[in-house]
Amino acid sequence: MVKLWWEEARAGCMTVTDNDDSEPLNGDSIAIKDNIVTSTLPTTAASRILSYHTSPFEATVVKLLKQNGATISSKANMDEFGMGSHSQNSFNGPVLSLFKRDGVPLSPGGSSGGSAVAVATGNCWAALGTDTGGSVRLPAAYTGTVGFKPSYGLLSRWGVIQYANSLDTVGILAASVEDAAAVFSILNHYDAQDPTSLLPSVRGRIAANRRTFPKTLRIGVPTDYNIHELSSAVRGAYISTLQQLQNLGHTLHAISLPTTKQALSAYYVLAPAEASSNLAKHDGIRYGFRSEGPDALPRENLPLYAQTRGEGFGEEVKRRILLGAYTLSSEAIDNYFIQAQKVRRLVQRDFDRVFATQNPLLDSKPGGGGGGVDVIITPTAPTLPPTVDEVKKQSPVESYMNDVFTVPASLAGLPAVSVPMPLSDAIEMEVEGGDVKTTGIQVIGQFGDDELVLRAAEIVQNL
Amino acid sequence: MSSKIRRCAPATLSLFSNTSARTPRACIVSQWLRSRGLTTVDSTPSQSVPLRKHLKDEAKRKKAEAKGSHNDIKAKTNPHSDEWKLTVGVEIHTELNTACKLFSTAPATAADSNGLPNTRVALFDAALPGTQPQFQRATLLPALRAAIALGCDVQRKSGWDRKHYFHWDQPNGYQITQYYEPFAKNGSIVLSAEDGVSKTDLSGTQSISIGIKQIQMEQDTAKTTHYAPSSYHVDLNRAGHPLIEIITLPQIHSPQTAAAVVRKIQAQLKSVDACVTGMELGGLRADVNVSVRPRGSSGNYSYGGVSGLGQRTEIKNLSSFAAIENAIMAERDRQIDVLEAGGVIEGETRGWTLGATETTRLRGKEGEVDYRYMPDADLPPLIIGSDLVDHLRSTLPELPDATVLRAQQDYGLSAKDAKTIATLDDGERLDFMEETVELVLDNLGDDQADKTKIGKLVGNWVLHELGGLLATSNIAWADVTVSETELADIITNVQLKRITSRTAKQLLATLHELPPDESRPSVEQLIDDGSLRLRPLSGEGYTALAEDIIAENPEMAKAVKDKGQKGKVMWFVGQMVRKGHEGTVEPEKAREVVERLLGS
Repeated sequence: MVKLWWEEARAGCMTVTDNDDSEPLNGDSIAIKDNIVTSTLPTTAASRILSYHTSPFEATVVKLLKQNGATISSKANMDEFGMGSHSQNSFNGPVLSLFKRDGVPLSPGGSSGGSAVAVATGNCWAALGTDTGGSVRLPAAYTGTVGFKPSYGLLSRWGVIQYANSLDTVGILAASVEDAAAVFSILNHYDAQDPTSLLPSVRGRIAANRRTFPKTLRIGVPTDYNIHELSSAVRGAYISTLQQLQNLGHTLHAISLPTTKQALSAYYVLAPAEASSNLAKHDGIRYGFRSEGPDALPRENLPLYAQTRGEGFGEEVKRRILLGAYTLSSEAIDNYFIQAQKVRRLVQRDFDRVFATQNPLLDSKPGGGGGGVDVIITPTAPTLPPTVDEVKKQSPVESYMNDVFTVPASLAGLPAVSVPMPLSDAIEMEVEGGDVKTTGIQVIGQFGDDELVLRAAEIVQNL
Repeated sequence: MSSKIRRCAPATLSLFSNTSARTPRACIVSQWLRSRGLTTVDSTPSQSVPLRKHLKDEAKRKKAEAKGSHNDIKAKTNPHSDEWKLTVGVEIHTELNTACKLFSTAPATAADSNGLPNTRVALFDAALPGTQPQFQRATLLPALRAAIALGCDVQRKSGWDRKHYFHWDQPNGYQITQYYEPFAKNGSIVLSAEDGVSKTDLSGTQSISIGIKQIQMEQDTAKTTHYAPSSYHVDLNRAGHPLIEIITLPQIHSPQTAAAVVRKIQAQLKSVDACVTGMELGGLRADVNVSVRPRGSSGNYSYGGVSGLGQRTEIKNLSSFAAIENAIMAERDRQIDVLEAGGVIEGETRGWTLGATETTRLRGKEGEVDYRYMPDADLPPLIIGSDLVDHLRSTLPELPDATVLRAQQDYGLSAKDAKTIATLDDGERLDFMEETVELVLDNLGDDQADKTKIGKLVGNWVLHELGGLLATSNIAWADVTVSETELADIITNVQLKRITSRTAKQLLATLHELPPDESRPSVEQLIDDGSLRLRPLSGEGYTALAEDIIAENPEMAKAVKDKGQKGKVMWFVGQMVRKGHEGTVEPEKAREVVERLLGS
């Protein structure tokens, strides 16, 4: 059944096959990131401000999993509200990776670190995460799992606690591309409760544009991603991947995505701006944590809820709320928020220019260079996972660097999947027993080309 | 009608549970709120001032103005106020008449509903984590009707923005509004003296036009009720109810006209069924911005594309016509005083409370909230097709000005009477008049009957005769028992000279007193029972009656006969009508006889 996942995806939904399983997931256990609401288990987004919060309703994606026979095994720890790249910013304590270096635990990646570790340790068959700027792909790369971020708007966000809602995407972590695809096909439905869910008409247009899977892939290799921060271990695995693909007959094409350098900065303007808005609802009145004593202290001229929010949010969340409040302020919005939106549009144009497939959301292809690529392949992260000690020493800006390769696809809403790739032999010799032995290779496709991306990822996985 | 999340605490908010609270209707969110120890309680509905009372007050004001005793007392507090030019712009918020909220399927709360607090609340309205707005397309219809009624260009594409501020009446921490791209722009309304525009503003012309800069849709807030000293009840039933905000250009130059503009906009909205309730208490709220500059000079400020103005201040949250007028007067005088004393006007937000003589400073520029407007990424742009707008425009109910014009042209009413009858009792009196006119025309069965002549006649009866009875008996229009048929029958009888108009008035008064049940006699019955039918006197009868009266008043007769004082003829006619048996003497015939006898 699973082998035919793309056929089923094409049919629009998972069909029940003629084997004995009455439900596609047949009791498979799935962990849910703690920012996706469940009505039976608490949902806290790893924040004190939502401590003990149990949602009165269930997220659409959770409902779909249950309807298809999945068992919800647990809620997975994460960076508070999805803000972090190492899953260390949690009110519940940091997520522990299964890997160590010199006895010091490695970063599991973030923010869906708990979901990735749950899959990597076999505690569940698959897990849901959310990916705003790389939060599914980075933990996948750091834990040797597959992490898939579908096109924005395919999976319902109804019940997903917002961080940066124009970027937030439900993603899937699994041990293999096939498993991730199976979960994806169950969740890939229009949901009227999510106003950003792609309408059936758009889904129809995407399906109509879908080409037959090419025998040989035209693979884009962005020259702009060869940055000096790229570690030799990751570069080695990346080059090896590209060589093997070439050996299989796929063709490599140097492409330019010139806005890549600005993309990360734009992301760290836009995401905090949206966060400052989305997190305004957490005031302790209707749900969640509430500080003792008065909500406002007129004597000290504190604004309303200052104490509750001050005690309820962690440091990184507060940092991003403040950043976002500033970049949206009337004095700064033109220089930050508006500029960042322009960069975002340029990033999208970069991608539209290089892909062979037309962006189904646009009327016509801008620029329109002939002979575009089918997918783009890049490293997922520039380095191997740092140790948690190294993470502690990093400045926030250094920490943000982890997202440099994942953020562009997020800004453009594109499907992207991280597949584990063994490190080359030489480096593997150096790493001790407990250290990670893979890195992540990212496959990015045109908007709506999720199926193509997954099938290309399968090829990479099987190298 | 407060309700609410109950919270109280010393000088702050804290949880408070009310064990005597009534159980609300099953509703996931209210159950949810209760699980937080937030209870819902019922309370008494707020009072609203009926439109009729307002119209009465307005009529009184006009009367006083007509007498030349317009009590613009404050205008006279500053002896130099004539030397300053006042400029005012208005922002009006009104609740749309819709079945559900703007972004959820929770039922919209009618202003007069007594629904239990926090029972009309969808997940999104309570800002539960993971919820998203779902635009309810039907809410667009009343908004579009309003935009068309106010002559706006409906924009094909508009958008939704978040306006951020922390307050417990705003569960999401922001209000969704249309800041960057409103759905309607560039409208206008025309006002004439009948609308209450001050004479100086008209400056000799028939009417003035005030520009509408834009109209935007947005969410209403929750309702907060303060229970002293430190308890606040919050009712989310109203949270998310669709509002429109109407922003006029700063083209108003008197307090009286500002109130007239708001009144007129309200009437327009009402006539197209766009908004829920009247202005008084909550259904409609207005903010005004006020600036002054020396007459004949130009200021350095520009608002909404209108330049040359003085520094303005904003007065928030005015909820009655009187408040609008008085607050502007007070603020104008304050600004003049400051400027004349050599001071500078600060761009600030001020408040005004009913009965106050001065506006009070709420916050200055430095205390201004930065709303951090941001497009709402969850909501796609609003695309409005021109076919929809055309359809609504072609099916729009008649606007008040068109009604008044029709009353004048079709029924021969004066401008004043037409305006009055169209405005009174939600237009029901006009309906009554129109129906009566049709019946009278049918009764007369004369194709040649002049509709405007009959219209004017019926209009008089409805406004002045029936209106007079209402006033003296203190009965509301809704309780009037006289039917269109009855009035038509009375008027028909007068027209056919079967009864005198004096009799007719008595019949109307009689019917006005009778209950509308089966015992109610018809007009014909009343005429017959009272023997009121005009029985024409014979020629001899007239002569005999006239001769009697002449004999009794030789001096008067002499004055006519010898001195040619023809005016006294009518005195004799009057005597004849009075002395003749009820309803038997027709003045015209009586006059002929008197003139013949007195040889004039």
